[in-house]
Amino acid sequence: MKIFIDPPNSLVLFDLVERFGHEPLSTMAAIQERVDNLEVDMPPMNVTLDDVVKGLKYAGIEVPSGVRGRLALWGPLIEEADAAIVMEDCPYSFGCVGCERSNLMVKYLIHRRGIPTLMVKYPETDEEAVNFVAQAKEWMEGLK
Amino acid sequence: MSEERETRLYMISPRSMLTPDQLVRMVHAFGDKALVKETCYGCLVEAPRSENLAILAKVREEYPNEVFSKIRAYRCSDPRRCRAQHGTRPGFAQLEEEWALLAKIQYGLDQVEKGAKYKPLDDKKRLDVNAFKKICEVQ
Repeated sequence: MKIFIDPPNSLVLFDLVERFGHEPLSTMAAIQERVDNLEVDMPPMNVTLDDVVKGLKYAGIEVPSGVRGRLALWGPLIEEADAAIVMEDCPYSFGCVGCERSNLMVKYLIHRRGIPTLMVKYPETDEEAVNFVAQAKEWMEGLK
Repeated sequence: MSEERETRLYMISPRSMLTPDQLVRMVHAFGDKALVKETCYGCLVEAPRSENLAILAKVREEYPNEVFSKIRAYRCSDPRRCRAQHGTRPGFAQLEEEWALLAKIQYGLDQVEKGAKYKPLDDKKRLDVNAFKKICEVQ
């Protein structure tokens, strides 16, 4: 099954989804398409007009361009996904490299699609990590 | 996902005794015609997707819970990303953060292999008012 991961560029989630036999849908694949096929200077920092139009499908014109740009990449992935796994409270998805508004929009879009979703908390300790891995494994095995 | 070219990033967990040099030598020893680049956290491997998946399977066989991987959008040594060519590396802050998390994930995978199951954690309870008053009264 195709599983959308959030944060969409997370190494941990990408690895676990592949490890337990599913196909992760990530930002990297979406950016790779632009790197290989488009004459864009530095994706995802630079976008095409098509991306801007695509982003408008998921976020209104009044929404900041950063949110719309992110959703232009992630929106089609969410539409393609059969399931989603969301890691909440990641330290890197907030602040200078992340965007909380985009994260909220992603969660909303996943919820609106109604696909099976696993919400997990970012593990802070070894015990939480055991719980996180066990929960993700059980959930992904149940999807088959 | 592109079938022609796939660049894969391998990151070694900080709990592992494996070094990037050992990992690169091992990938080279598989004999595939992949482009391998050693990095501070592990290595980058560039090859067609089918070949890359075969390498990943072999690496997982040798080091099942110590090496983690994901795909990378840009090619190895792309001037827009490669530090050696003064490229920016905007994703490195996240990689650094996740590198620290890998130690915990490795431990989690080891324990799950040994048979650990998911146990829902207890919800955090609200602080009792009297207990809070006591905390406030401490000089």
